Amino acid sequence: MTPQSRIRRIGWIAALAFCAVFYLVLHIKVHAVSSDVIRAERQIVSLERQKLLLETEFETRANQLQLAAWNNVEFGYTAPTAGQFLQNERRLADFGAPPLPGAPEPIRVAGATGDAPEYPRMVSPLTGKPIEEALLEPEHVDDRPLSGGLGAVRVPLRAVIASAAQ
Amino acid sequence: MNAFADSVPVSVLAPTGRVRLADVRRRALLTAQLRVLVIGLIFFALTVAALFRIAWLGLVEPPPQARSMADALLPPRGEITDRNGVPLARAFPAYALWFNPEAMDDGGTPLVRPAEEVAAELNAIFPDLDKAWLTRRLTSGKSGYLRRRVLPEEANRVYAIGELALELPSETDRQYPQGAMAAHVLGYVDENGKGQVGMESALNDRLIDPARRGDPVALSVDARVQGALEDELRRGMLSVDAVGAAGIVLDVDTGEVLALASLPGFDPNKIDAQGQSNMFNRVTNQVYELGSTFKPLTVAAAIDAGTITDLSRRYLALPFPIGGFTIKDSHPLGSSLNTPEMLIHSSNVVTARIVDDLSAARLKKTMADLGMNERPYIELPARGFPIWASGDWPRLRAMTVGYGHGIAVTPLHLASAYAAMVNGGIWRPATLMKVEPGQANRGRRVFKTSTSARMNQLLRMIVVYGTGRKAEAPGFRIGGKTGSAEKPGAGGYKRTSLVSTFAAAFPMDRPRYVVIAMLDEPKGTAASSYQRTAAWNAAPIVGRLVPRIGPLLGVFPDEGRDIDLTDLKPLVGDTGGSGE
Repeated sequence: MTPQSRIRRIGWIAALAFCAVFYLVLHIKVHAVSSDVIRAERQIVSLERQKLLLETEFETRANQLQLAAWNNVEFGYTAPTAGQFLQNERRLADFGAPPLPGAPEPIRVAGATGDAPEYPRMVSPLTGKPIEEALLEPEHVDDRPLSGGLGAVRVPLRAVIASAAQ
Repeated sequence: MNAFADSVPVSVLAPTGRVRLADVRRRALLTAQLRVLVIGLIFFALTVAALFRIAWLGLVEPPPQARSMADALLPPRGEITDRNGVPLARAFPAYALWFNPEAMDDGGTPLVRPAEEVAAELNAIFPDLDKAWLTRRLTSGKSGYLRRRVLPEEANRVYAIGELALELPSETDRQYPQGAMAAHVLGYVDENGKGQVGMESALNDRLIDPARRGDPVALSVDARVQGALEDELRRGMLSVDAVGAAGIVLDVDTGEVLALASLPGFDPNKIDAQGQSNMFNRVTNQVYELGSTFKPLTVAAAIDAGTITDLSRRYLALPFPIGGFTIKDSHPLGSSLNTPEMLIHSSNVVTARIVDDLSAARLKKTMADLGMNERPYIELPARGFPIWASGDWPRLRAMTVGYGHGIAVTPLHLASAYAAMVNGGIWRPATLMKVEPGQANRGRRVFKTSTSARMNQLLRMIVVYGTGRKAEAPGFRIGGKTGSAEKPGAGGYKRTSLVSTFAAAFPMDRPRYVVIAMLDEPKGTAASSYQRTAAWNAAPIVGRLVPRIGPLLGVFPDEGRDIDLTDLKPLVGDTGGSGE
């Protein structure tokens, strides 16, 4: 037997042994998991049974005969009468009374829901065209000439009054 | 040669090394062959054994009992619930207490401690067990149940006593959480695990089928309505000292029974001799002459046939003789009555005259169409056969049937007939199984829709102006008819024992439910103002019941709404009447 073939044989044996050990470990692991599953299942079954028992006990203690007996002795609830039901909004409105003379004005509260229409753009009172945003800035107002500009012109009221006075 | 010749005997006597070698070799070969044979045989035997085992496993041995979680959770008997899923009958694992005197197996006494001590400890756990009885049982040396039902917590306490002879075998138990409620609907399960009496019997195969018992069976019954019906019936029955009572709430559009009660009842959790005697179902099994409650059916038949076209037409109301019998009313109601007045005052005479116009054959056909000639349609095993005259009805028979005598049916027959009368004219079989929306039985048409609409007005008038006034509940628009029939006894009718019935429907502007309340042999007591007729005992039951069940069933009281009675109001005076 050459040393080469001996090494190969040892290699094979080692590989086989490794596989066997690995298989064994895996097998034990699988068994452990499956017995865990079985234990969990048994626990579920026992909990379900307990639940069933408690639920049945609850239903038994709260059965209709018992509730009726308690009601007769303790609570005395009776069936609701027609006056306790409202069929529609009009019936609800029926309960309202017109305000007496001298009664304070009802407080009215308004609110916006967010879907309000866009605020209308400011237009020039002279040309009827929308005003450029830049013109609305106060620092630019004083720098503008009174007239002679092209297109839309914003004429400050103060300037108009001043020029008229001159 | 000599030497050779000499050598032969030498070689024979003492073999040379070569010969010995051959011998050894042969022997070794033989041994090796023998070993190979033995090993081969062992392998062969192993193979045969393995093959045999495989064949055995495959062919002979039953498969291993796989107890999966689903199997463990599958109840031994299916659950029964009401229409909303409230459990009415369920199986759950429980324990029993069994005395086994051989448990110690040492030839000595069955118990470690004195029987009296053990009996006292058991009595502390189960106060309802008698101490003396327990002591007798524990000293008798006979095995047997000490108790059929033991809860787990009690079982733990019994274990803590530490007596081996007290065994706690686990048994599956059928539990009815609602106790005696709906007992006639449910029935019970006997010791052999077979359903008896009610739906336990009717659904027995379905409830034990392994493929289907995991899913609960939903009945049409509503536990809350059932509870209210039984409560009010019991109260009504006790207040007038009646021997029994029966009641039913029926959906007019689907035939579903929402509640069905027969009193006195029994407790399916505990079947005893008294329970056995009350198992008889008065709603589906007992036939009664239901008296005046048949009058609206007669009027409906006459309107449908066209023999009543004018409700203001007046009929003679004076007693008249026929066939050796005088048809009369309980008290004089004047010389003539029209149809609404007849119903309001409940006149036998006028009903007989209406039947005369209608003809016996047509009345019989209508009654047959309403299912009065056969057992009631319901899943329960106990269904009574009506007393129904076959052949052509003579004039007198038809007249008496017209006001509910000479025909005996179950209260369920009456409920189904009233449902057909108020729902637009369609008769449907009653059912205890929940009906999914749109899946209702198509039924058969008995009355025209117009007839039904007219009858709804007339039934409402009886409650507003007539004998049914004690059934009025504000806002619920109840309509109905009273009926107080004398019970037949030896030698004719017994004047003192009545069957009083109130057959009602609500709300009359669009009827949805029929309610029947029936009392068997009510007495005149202070609660009924010393009256025995249905107007004083059965009608108030309905008047109290409807406000309790109406909102649960989606019928809300509304005093601003009612069926239009303006066209019929002028036909009757303001004053109501009394009658049967």
